[in-house]
Amino acid sequence: MPSAAELAWLIPVLPLAGACITGLGLISFNRTVNRLRKPVAWLLISCVGAAAVLSYAVLAEQLAGAGPTEVLFNWASAGNFNLQMGFRVDALGAVMLSLVTTIAVLVMVYSDGYMAHDKGYVRFFTYLALFSSSMLGLVISPNLLEIYVFWELVGMCSYLLVGFWYDRDGAANAAQKAFVVNRVGDFGLLLGILGLFWATGSFGFEEIGSRLQEAVAGGSLPNAAAILLCLLVFMGPMAKSAQFPLHVWLPDAMEGPTPISALIHAATMVAAGVFLVARLQPVYEPFPAVQATIAVVGTITLVLGASIALTQMDLKKGLAYSTVSQLGYMMLAMGCGAPVAGMFHLVTHAFFKAMLFLGSGSVIHAMEEVVGHEPVLAQDMRLMGGLRKYMPITSTTFLIGCVAIAGIPPLAGFWSKDEILGVAFGSFPLLWVAGFITAGMTAFYMFRLYFLTFEGEFRGGDKALQAQLLAAAGKPPGDGDGHGHASHPHESGWQMAMPLAVLAVPSVLVGLLGTPWNSRFGNLLDPQEAAEVAEHFSWSEFLPLAGASVAISVAGISVAVLAYALHKLDLATAVAARFPALNAFLANKWYLDAINDKLFVQGSRKLAKSVLEVDSKVVDGVVNLTGLVTLGSGEGLKYFETGRAQFYALIVFGGVIALVVLFGSLG
Amino acid sequence: MSAAILFPIAAALVIPFIPDAGDGKRVRWYALGVTLTTFLLTVGGYLNGYDPAVEGLQLVERVSWLPKLGLAWSVGADGISMPLILLTSFITSLAALAAWPVTFKPKLFYFLLLAMDGGQIAVFAVQDMLLFFLAWELELLPVYLLLAIWGGKKRQYAATKFILYTAGSSLFILVVGLAMAFYGGGAPTFEYTDLMAKDFSTKFQLFAYAGLLIAFGVKLPIVPLHTWLPDAHGEATAPVHMLLAGILLKMGGYALLRFNVQLLPEGHAQFAPLLVVLGVVNIIYAALTSFAQRNLKRKIAYSSISHMGFVLIGIGSFSALGTSGAMLQMISHGLIGASLFFLVGATYDRTHTLQLDEMGGVGQSMRKMFALWTICCLASLALPGMSGFVSELMVFTGFVTSEAYSLSFRIVMAALAAVGVILTPVYLLSMLREIFFGKENVELASHTHLVDAEPREIYVVSCLLVPIVGIGLYPRIMTDTYRSSIEALVQRETTALARVIQPQPGSLIRQPLLTAPLLPV
Repeated sequence: MPSAAELAWLIPVLPLAGACITGLGLISFNRTVNRLRKPVAWLLISCVGAAAVLSYAVLAEQLAGAGPTEVLFNWASAGNFNLQMGFRVDALGAVMLSLVTTIAVLVMVYSDGYMAHDKGYVRFFTYLALFSSSMLGLVISPNLLEIYVFWELVGMCSYLLVGFWYDRDGAANAAQKAFVVNRVGDFGLLLGILGLFWATGSFGFEEIGSRLQEAVAGGSLPNAAAILLCLLVFMGPMAKSAQFPLHVWLPDAMEGPTPISALIHAATMVAAGVFLVARLQPVYEPFPAVQATIAVVGTITLVLGASIALTQMDLKKGLAYSTVSQLGYMMLAMGCGAPVAGMFHLVTHAFFKAMLFLGSGSVIHAMEEVVGHEPVLAQDMRLMGGLRKYMPITSTTFLIGCVAIAGIPPLAGFWSKDEILGVAFGSFPLLWVAGFITAGMTAFYMFRLYFLTFEGEFRGGDKALQAQLLAAAGKPPGDGDGHGHASHPHESGWQMAMPLAVLAVPSVLVGLLGTPWNSRFGNLLDPQEAAEVAEHFSWSEFLPLAGASVAISVAGISVAVLAYALHKLDLATAVAARFPALNAFLANKWYLDAINDKLFVQGSRKLAKSVLEVDSKVVDGVVNLTGLVTLGSGEGLKYFETGRAQFYALIVFGGVIALVVLFGSLG
Repeated sequence: MSAAILFPIAAALVIPFIPDAGDGKRVRWYALGVTLTTFLLTVGGYLNGYDPAVEGLQLVERVSWLPKLGLAWSVGADGISMPLILLTSFITSLAALAAWPVTFKPKLFYFLLLAMDGGQIAVFAVQDMLLFFLAWELELLPVYLLLAIWGGKKRQYAATKFILYTAGSSLFILVVGLAMAFYGGGAPTFEYTDLMAKDFSTKFQLFAYAGLLIAFGVKLPIVPLHTWLPDAHGEATAPVHMLLAGILLKMGGYALLRFNVQLLPEGHAQFAPLLVVLGVVNIIYAALTSFAQRNLKRKIAYSSISHMGFVLIGIGSFSALGTSGAMLQMISHGLIGASLFFLVGATYDRTHTLQLDEMGGVGQSMRKMFALWTICCLASLALPGMSGFVSELMVFTGFVTSEAYSLSFRIVMAALAAVGVILTPVYLLSMLREIFFGKENVELASHTHLVDAEPREIYVVSCLLVPIVGIGLYPRIMTDTYRSSIEALVQRETTALARVIQPQPGSLIRQPLLTAPLLPV
């Protein structure tokens, strides 16, 4: 009986097999397979489910104290050179495996309800399985190169899923943007991987780390070059985990179906960047400059995400910017040299953010019954309100999510965020201030979302407001596939409610696994460090910091309550009108999209156009000119045709002499 | 091996005598049968007589032809040619299947197709420089006719440009071939193995190398010798297209490896930095032109040029890994390019336009087509799990770890080449978006009949996709077939490199930033 770790290769292969079967079926027997909705869904859910069971077994083994397992084989070779592939299971991987499979299964069950009426139901499930497979492959990759392979594959799945509703222009643009921005990161990642390979001769994490350190210490590699390579590699996680300035794709990616936003763009794929940085800790650790850069980038991102989230009116985009901000927290932890804290926040965030997104999907699904399938209307919070009456399960779980992310003890977000802030306080006090203030903003915008959506009066029937929103989005009024047929929304079916309820449990409880005085999570990932932390733990240090962050969260929540629940405080006049520049700055997302468009999109188009001009006018022009000259000279040469044999002989003779001289000079 | 060359040509000669109603139905089955038999012949030769572990020539057949001149019909295969021979017969048989809708002068069309099949296999298989020249020229004529008769609106211009370009450049092959035969001591000979044994002076090698580089650079193509390609590709029909992209371009790469590297290693040692620079120029320049291009066929034609840049870098990399990568990139692009061009043809059959502005939202009614397009585009932008990724990665890794260049040269070139990694998805995904995404284009849908992919089309593309994915998942199925030959080749060029740079190995090329491409004048 082989151990679960030895069978870990099955974890990504099972969903892949399922995806391949249905994918081939879709291409060859499109109509039949499209009709087999439930069987396909069951097949794929059980594939991912089996992977989940196996992942739990792997995790159980790791909890029992099994060491890392690594299996490799020769993948490509030339000369004395071998590229190895394989898989590797350790504590970090086991945690991620269980996390990804759990959320994937829940999201798939949820999708059965959410996508029930979509004609692309089967295709959607196929993509989901494909994504799960690539994500799981990424998690068990033993070296940088294999990570890069799966890194690209999850990017491709994200592309396919964001562009899932391909008849929408917004989705088409967002899908392409996501892929291209990620490719910009991959450009750095690829160069970094190649450079590290050149410097160390290896793709393995530990080997790179130790050899790079040796090379720098031995003087064969300048310190600056090593830092440059590390930062190049970091470009990959920057794009994937939506760090400033490569975060721009993530909010747009909300064009995809909402289960995707929960699975890919909140819980798993965007966390891959953080995961990679955690894997690369042995490489980054010896270079404080790299660590500081990571921390600063994380801090900018967390402030940026939270500040933009303050003004968003689109429910999903608000959550998306919140994700950006939380990913910034994780990066901050990585930069402070505390991968365990970052990973812990990754896990807690995955649970509550997936739940929040699924909750927003449930809301949107219900809103579509009232306002129709136009995303401009169905996702706008100005048309929501009062949904708590109609959707008790959704609103309760959403509230739990809000409390969790706001950092109120004992819910999950408190423990993980507080751990990060604690580490930041120790290493970069200035960044701690930013993170601390952002914690208040987080609490404010999350409760703003909650109150606008679930409390007050239902505003979905307001036709004038609908027309106004459509006009603002530049769409003709009354457009879209028909208006709603219900006067008020309904709670979603069990397929959608069940995952919400299930996810609420870890959102409340999982934080207790990472209490600083006895962190079970830390014990698993890095027992040595966890023991150290537990030993140095003192209530007198913990309480002031924790108290402060709870206090600022409560302050944020109070402002939200005053403004949106009790309507005692009119923020529009109190703040927005007084600082119009600031408001415009936030509403325009720091103008980053505009800058990117001007600089890169239009710039590259212009450059490409001018190169094409050169190609057709200059390069091809010379060719055509040569053709003309030949014609002309032929005309000219006509007059040399004297018909005298001696003349021709002379020319031939001259040519031969010239050749002889030429070859003579060579000899 | 001779059988694989002569059989399609002989079979082509029979075509005029096939009784046919004029719609070409019988001829096309016949042609398909012939190309398939040829494919099986080459596969049989590969399985029975070819041992991947041997680095030298195998499957040799030699018949003296004109003994006085040392001319002989000699064919054979080694690691460099065997994969390309297989590729040729494979793509041609699929092209025959892709040519199903051809109804205009079918007999002549299939005659030319079969003649090309034989000619192209001959290019890769012959082991004699004069024969190589003949085969090279012979295979031009069918392409010229295929372009000039079945092409688009500007077919005459394109065909003339093609023939002038390639025929003009092949003069260099003849001149250099003659010079090499009579120069360098020993009896005049055209045979590769004898030529390899000759000891050419470095100066002579440089001249010969430059001549051959122009000749093969047109074919590959190397910017700025590329302008025939968008015209030719822009006017060709789908099956011709598949052959052009799938095989013709590879002749350039093959010939560079065979002659420039194998026969003129010292010239190569001097020229290699130039090859790398040209490769980078190819990648970026063609990617940009492709991005700006509004005509679908020309867009993909430029993307082919861009991908060939990796072949150049690989050849110039002085590492076994990089050179294998170049080889794999040729095979991989042969498959991916052929599938993309086939899809372009299939789409054109439905939309009757190649202008991207006139398309849009086609995905609604052509879902399977959309899926196939997406897969092929992803393959082309080097998605892992497909062959393009492996080959580009091998080229990159090989080049970066190569000992022959200075560090700064490697950094700059690798960074520039990696810009292509960003540009390729930009133009390919923009293209996909403009064709398939968005609301259905009402005007297009009103006057065209947008039917979804037929089983035949799905079959052709999946035949191409199977090896693409196969190589992508486990590249050794391909790389192991030519590994020993490439290693021997790289060994040869590395010793030549050391010989060229005698005083202090590496000093000539290992120079500071960007002075590396020392052009010997």
